[in-house]
Amino acid sequence: MSALTLYNYDLDENCYKVRLLLSCLGAEVGQVAVDVFPGRENLSAPMRAMSPSGTLPILKQDDFVLHEAEAILSFLARRDPDRRFLPDDPASFGRVMMWLTFSTRELDAAVHARATAMMDAPGDIEALRTAARDALRIMDDHMTRQHFEGLDYFAGPQPTIADIALFPSFALSRDYNIDHDHFPALRRWARAIRKLDGFITMPGIPDYH
Amino acid sequence: MSFRGWYPLALSRDIAPGTSTGTRVHGSEFVIWRDDKGGAHVWEDRCPHRGMKLSFGFVRGDHIACLYHGWQYDTAGQCRYIPAHPDLTVPKTIKVPRFSVAEAGGVIWGCFSEEDDDAPPAPKLPVAAAALRSIFADCPAPLLVERVGLLDVEGLTPDVSTIDDRILEVRLGGNTLIACVQPVADKESALHIVAMEELDAAQMKPLALWAEELRRDAESFARKAAIREIAA
Ligand code: FES
Repeated sequence: MSALTLYNYDLDENCYKVRLLLSCLGAEVGQVAVDVFPGRENLSAPMRAMSPSGTLPILKQDDFVLHEAEAILSFLARRDPDRRFLPDDPASFGRVMMWLTFSTRELDAAVHARATAMMDAPGDIEALRTAARDALRIMDDHMTRQHFEGLDYFAGPQPTIADIALFPSFALSRDYNIDHDHFPALRRWARAIRKLDGFITMPGIPDYH
Repeated sequence: MSFRGWYPLALSRDIAPGTSTGTRVHGSEFVIWRDDKGGAHVWEDRCPHRGMKLSFGFVRGDHIACLYHGWQYDTAGQCRYIPAHPDLTVPKTIKVPRFSVAEAGGVIWGCFSEEDDDAPPAPKLPVAAAALRSIFADCPAPLLVERVGLLDVEGLTPDVSTIDDRILEVRLGGNTLIACVQPVADKESALHIVAMEELDAAQMKPLALWAEELRRDAESFARKAAIREIAA
């Protein structure tokens, strides 16, 4: 059996989610750099064979292929013997899944807003920004109430893959012109994420030093 | 727009030592930051180097560093360090304008009209027992204030007394809240809400939900008012 391979593009926030989790788990996987811009290599036939819609990241091991960042996060967290980022008890597990789903659906607007603002992807930037802000507000409201109970993360007292999945769109929000000023609870949460063992940044997320 | 008196800018809780954020009052931009010893600072949100926002920067000890080229400023606003010229004694003229700052009632206040020495007396508020939350809404401050007294949510009916035009006392479900009103810009405002009694998480939660609903309600009113204006 060959080793796990991650098909990665450094500027893609969905790829960053996987790199961030791997780093927090202290897990090593081989990486293949995909030339998304300007090469559009993600749309080539061999890539489409693995990820039909041309999205990254992709995780592959022999015949086993996963696309969709949230699925890859779940797989990697489940594989970790200590289950550090995916609690087993049903209630916590359910909360993690709820926020993972939120990250793919509600924060999709944020991913598109960023692509439109930075890479001239087609899209109604105002509508995308409004939808992204609505999603960030829901997150800030939730974390405000979590903090009342002394809970520092989305699904409870410990960081999970839900936090990993939600983090990039907030951390990168200035790329699509939404400041952090109106999200005090998310600022506090983001500081907690930045302190995780193994935390890494991506281009656009400053590394304060 | 001229500034008058003290403006609430943030909950003290929400600006932890070693952190910064941006804010606006009547559209003008300010950075709020707290040094590692706990002192709060309110400055113009503009780095003297190339005018980038200092609120994007980060706090190190008692300096705030600009994100762009790393110029560092001490608590007096004086630039102390320029990474591209580490041996340079930085000229005294490279300085960020600072404003008077006060913390009262669990809220950080800024005063923008006067020199440091003759700012009007800071607002007098009892010590807050619990910080609830800030809400930021796309609506003018007077509309937000009007809606505070009108919003019933699940049996929570507010009873509002106006202490002054930036401080409201809101009696809500047996609790006394103080809501401080920040005019962010023409069509944006914020409320910084604290509670006068100790509250546990179970008591805070319905109050936080009331505040979220207030934001929805005020914004939907502002949108309807805007549509009426266009129609008229
Ligand atoms: S703009 Fe602030 S250091 Fe250059």
